[in-house]
Amino acid sequence: MIATNIVGIAVTTIILGSIYGLVAIGMTLIYGTLRILDMSQGSMVMAGSFIGWGILVVAGWNPILAILAAFIATFILGALTQLVSVQPLMRRRTAIDFEMVTFITTFAVAMVLTNVALEIFGPFQRNVKSVVSGSISVYQGVDLPYQSLTMALVSIALMAGLGIFLARSRWGMAIRAVAQDLDAARLMGVPVGKLYPLTMGLASALAGIAGVFLGGLYFAYPQAGDLPLLEALIVVIFGGLGSLPGTVYAAYAIGLIQATAEVIVGTTWSLPILYGVILLVLIVRPYGLLGRPSEARL
Amino acid sequence: MSDHPVSAHSATEHPVADHGTIAASAFPGMTRGRWSIAGLAVLVAFAIPLVISNQYTLSVMVTTLILLVLNISWNFVLGVAGVWNFGQLALYALGGYGAGIIMLHSSVSPWLALLAGGLVAAIAAVLLAFPTLRLYGIYTSLLTFAFAEVIQYVILNDGSGLTGGSFGLPIVPGLYSSLSLDTSTKAYFWTVLAVVVIATVALAAVGHSRLGIALRGIRDAPAYAAARGVNPLRYRIFAFAISGFLAGIAGALYVSYNQSISPSVMGLTPMSVYVTMLVIGGLGTATGPIVGTVLVQIVATLLVTHPGAEFTILGLFLLVVVVFVPDGLVGLVGRYWRKVAAWAAEGEQAEPDQPDGEPAEGAPAEGEQEGSPDPHVA
Amino acid sequence: MSTGMTSEPMLEVTQLRAGYLDTTVIRDLDLAVQPGEAAVLIGPNGHGKTTLLRAISGLIAPTSGRVVLGGQDVTGRPADRIAALGLVHVPQGDGLFGEMTVEENLMMGAFPASSWRDRRAALARIYEHFPAVAERASQRARTLSGGERRLVALGRALMRPSQLMLIDEPSLGLAPVAIDAVYDAISELKRSGATLVLVEENFTHVGSVADAVHVIEAGTIIASGPYSELSTDPAIVQTYLGSL
Repeated sequence: MIATNIVGIAVTTIILGSIYGLVAIGMTLIYGTLRILDMSQGSMVMAGSFIGWGILVVAGWNPILAILAAFIATFILGALTQLVSVQPLMRRRTAIDFEMVTFITTFAVAMVLTNVALEIFGPFQRNVKSVVSGSISVYQGVDLPYQSLTMALVSIALMAGLGIFLARSRWGMAIRAVAQDLDAARLMGVPVGKLYPLTMGLASALAGIAGVFLGGLYFAYPQAGDLPLLEALIVVIFGGLGSLPGTVYAAYAIGLIQATAEVIVGTTWSLPILYGVILLVLIVRPYGLLGRPSEARL
Repeated sequence: MSDHPVSAHSATEHPVADHGTIAASAFPGMTRGRWSIAGLAVLVAFAIPLVISNQYTLSVMVTTLILLVLNISWNFVLGVAGVWNFGQLALYALGGYGAGIIMLHSSVSPWLALLAGGLVAAIAAVLLAFPTLRLYGIYTSLLTFAFAEVIQYVILNDGSGLTGGSFGLPIVPGLYSSLSLDTSTKAYFWTVLAVVVIATVALAAVGHSRLGIALRGIRDAPAYAAARGVNPLRYRIFAFAISGFLAGIAGALYVSYNQSISPSVMGLTPMSVYVTMLVIGGLGTATGPIVGTVLVQIVATLLVTHPGAEFTILGLFLLVVVVFVPDGLVGLVGRYWRKVAAWAAEGEQAEPDQPDGEPAEGAPAEGEQEGSPDPHVA
Repeated sequence: MSTGMTSEPMLEVTQLRAGYLDTTVIRDLDLAVQPGEAAVLIGPNGHGKTTLLRAISGLIAPTSGRVVLGGQDVTGRPADRIAALGLVHVPQGDGLFGEMTVEENLMMGAFPASSWRDRRAALARIYEHFPAVAERASQRARTLSGGERRLVALGRALMRPSQLMLIDEPSLGLAPVAIDAVYDAISELKRSGATLVLVEENFTHVGSVADAVHVIEAGTIIASGPYSELSTDPAIVQTYLGSL
């Protein structure tokens, strides 16, 4: 019995942690480079879900196509969001807190996207076909659906891919440079005017892919982005703003806490317990697990 | 500075510099002319129920006024004190539930229950205030948001019957249950309007007092404020207590007027609407909440059958306002007023505008507050 | 400043005004630097030396006036565009990317270079010139000592071909031994024909590289001349240089 629970917790932790990580890693990337909390990330997940629905259910095409389409579409959406709701504010030097204002503008974008979806698709929850169906029995009583497994594997692959991109590629290094010292990066000739929308596009694209999978697990509906946004915020702040390793650790830590809480007290109370843990951690470590805002590392 | 035609409601006065040289009047910038206009506006507002008989319209107005109380309270902590507080709706709900439960389960006068609701919210707010000080700006958003989520969750999943879970409270008598529907609507209108007026005036006074100036100082230049001996904890608790109390009162008014309350008053959707109201009107100003709330409510009422379109428009409106007019409509009017006044008063040097669109190069300095001494000036 | 050559100046600043928000720091400043010349800016702290460099490299946009680099008007252009045109600015306190390794920092220096091969070739050259830097190639920049970081910053500045180099207080906060090494590198730069604008407080070393000296006070140039002239002018020496 205990062994089943432990295995169950381990499996849930990996699944939850991976998906939290994928959704949150984009936000960290954005915060590290642009120093903003992008509140539109949730709606990118939602957009991904709808694209998944459109391609998998309506058109009946290949899941790879769905992932690709989601990537491209949300990349463009993300870049546009940056150009519309963040870029104009960068030239502005008012007394108002830049972070708070962009919080609101990206929030406004999320509102617009969510409600456009509402107008177009209506409030109904649409079933998105799973990318992969069936499940595998990991241990006695612990069933692991292939959809979840695939989602976890894709998430891990994408997170690793992002890490490699940042570490090895010229543009990845440019993004890290901007995160560490904006002025120095500009002096190196890094075109920040292009880099910012690209970064936000990339982050949104990751969220969009997450959406394709999450749509299969849950549904595609206009408010589908609210919960992932909240989860991403929790992970990002808990792990330390601007720290990619912190985000990954935090994602799995939160997955673990949630999985454990679910087993011990049931689903109803697992979320408040999660929040309680977060409050405690924030009191002990006000900057989250690994982050100090002035030293974003990426 | 009191003879300078700066709008009394501008949150852009230089904060800590005025510390110790407070103008004799509690409202610098309010001339007799302005007081007359304000007084007239209040009189007109009070006359509305005598003129309009459409129940639906009046009812919408009462709801708007209740929201206004909430927004005024939120504006104080979010705009003036500059705290990333996203738990205000939970305080609103606590006030409502507190008052409602007392009215249901005791024979205490509903007016006392109202006050009790305010107190409950105020206490919760003060408790919330402590950890917020420890956290860097954005982290406070998560803390307060988590707080709101927990409250909402606890209420939703309350199986004991006290809060009624997702169904909300059973019928609450409210303040004017003995009156007919028409009369009670009017009574509520006047009551809430009175609260709005008192709250606006009181908070505007506080905003110009030592407390308000200190709060803005802490918000805009924390190091300087600390050097001037301003204790952030005391002021923050004050700010949270006042704003929490008012939010609680708003919630109590809500539960009285609607004779019920449910967890749906909280959540991301209402929060985004109220934030929109505050920002469009002008965060941190005294009349901003009024302008913003009324404007958005009009749009919302006109489009009530098309929530998707309504929120899309609101979202776009919010985006446009924030990008082009960051200090909201009140700030915009204030700026143009100053320009006109300066033009009219020849010979008087026009005060430099708020630095917007200054040609300083694009991207923001890393974590540095604009205007802080630049360490690179050799 | 005039060294007898009449060719087009590498850098020409005309009636420049620049500052931050409501403060004007640079006022009506004129400056010309000839190709191959090493111009040194001296003056009291807070009077605009660093601000001037930042206005030239585009980190801040001038409010009025002109900046012409190698014949091209770059006034108000974004910093990354100006950098791509061949301006290298080594900011005060080196501006290294602390979390990156020395090698990564150097590679960032060659960011505008077209091919990976070009960049690696430049890297090899720098390692040859600066063996101390080569030794620390895989160390994180923030773990290096002040002098080492300064050398890395200079090495990074050399990773791509440039028309003009702005160096802000290269000796700031360094021990004398480190300063020697830094100025050896700067002399090397000069010998290879680079055009330099140096902001420097430490006048002892500057003598070995300076062609022209400009004194900046209250955001404008109040005196200019060859080093030999100004270093013997008692008024200048007393006010700005203390003892040589």
